[in-house]
Amino acid sequence: MYRRWLITFATTLLLWSLLVQLNHYLAPRGAYLFAGGLLVTFAALRLGLRNGLMATLLTGLAIDAIEPVPFGTHLVLFAVMHVVIFRLRTRFPREETIFGVVVALLANLALFLGLSFGVLGSHPASGAAWMRLFADLLWSQLFIAVVAPWFFALQERALELGRVDLVAESRATF
Amino acid sequence: MPSKRLDQAKPFLALGIVVLAWSLLPVVVKSFLRASFFELQAPIQTTASYARDLQEYWAERTHSKNDLIQAGRELRHVYAGYEFQAQQAEALHAEIGRLEQLLRLPSNPHYRFEPARVARRDFSGWWQQLVIRKGADFGIPVGAPVVYSGGVVGRVREVHAYTAVVDLVTSPSVRLATNIEDDSRPVSYQGGLNPPLAPARGIVEFVPPDFFTSAANPKRLVTSGLGGVFPPGLTIGYITKLEASTDGLFKSGEVSLDPRLSELAEVTVLVPLNPE
Repeated sequence: MYRRWLITFATTLLLWSLLVQLNHYLAPRGAYLFAGGLLVTFAALRLGLRNGLMATLLTGLAIDAIEPVPFGTHLVLFAVMHVVIFRLRTRFPREETIFGVVVALLANLALFLGLSFGVLGSHPASGAAWMRLFADLLWSQLFIAVVAPWFFALQERALELGRVDLVAESRATF
Repeated sequence: MPSKRLDQAKPFLALGIVVLAWSLLPVVVKSFLRASFFELQAPIQTTASYARDLQEYWAERTHSKNDLIQAGRELRHVYAGYEFQAQQAEALHAEIGRLEQLLRLPSNPHYRFEPARVARRDFSGWWQQLVIRKGADFGIPVGAPVVYSGGVVGRVREVHAYTAVVDLVTSPSVRLATNIEDDSRPVSYQGGLNPPLAPARGIVEFVPPDFFTSAANPKRLVTSGLGGVFPPGLTIGYITKLEASTDGLFKSGEVSLDPRLSELAEVTVLVPLNPE
């Protein structure tokens, strides 16, 4: 039972760690990648609510711990996004990779804007900050479009190796 | 029908429970969770940093012996210059100490220099921070100033077991009391102008109206020593643009910061020797 959210959390932590390293190298170029939407999408589309939400909450806490935001910001944003995707998933072909990529892009856009409005409240030059944020959003969306198919395949394969029946899991409502 | 509606509401019910539970969670538990999740990821960050150091080491091993001899010669010249400057600095310190005693002035704060490697650079439009590979294990305190050869880097915001988080001077959350070089009037500096694909800049406010500057003739902005965090006279950047502020009493403008700030691999933490 624990395997489902543990494996999913481990894979998201892997992607997050890779992203942290990538941002380290991008820092001198004045660019930054954010892929919060991608971290939430697979768990929300393919897992049951309890397992998926657990993995998403842990991911949110992991990011909150190392970023300078009030502790719980990513947790709440990710949880809201997870529930919205979960609620809408039955209406779409959620096992299709291309659909997953589109959901990840839309989720990332919403999370990026949500975080920006939350963080930029006291910014001394919010006009200039938005220019940088739009550029970062553009790089982030391009990054997600390229990486998402690999990441979904990685998560699927990791769950298969953990002997998780994804078909039965995705039918579970809670 | 009601059971179908309940099924549809379940995700939002779960979300409500999560948000409620989070808001009711005691601060102690939240602090413990934050520290635990940070320390969980710290080994990943530091291991990657050590791997980069190893990569650099092997890249440097490819240099020829002639290159190393040449570099050694150049270092000897630099070292001789610094040795002379160190002697001068020692004499000046002794003179300052004598004057402090004579005039019964409170002595300037003294610092221990703690060099630290940068484990992670995290520069976004939202925040600008560094994670360094030294923390409570080396006695780094929260609020300690961090410097490099070009001047101010920022100040320590969080200290963990063997890492510390530094708020960069380019971050919008950093505000400093500063002076324009050779002038004692205080000026306010704040980070936050981080354009895409270009070096970061800062914002300067409350500049006296008799100052004029341009990109061709910039004025050096230095720490004032007010507030007791940073020692006075450290370079922050150069004021390249000044305009009259809306109240007409002061000027405000932009500060050009050293592009090396975004490429830092090593910094020095100034640890106060006699913290109050």
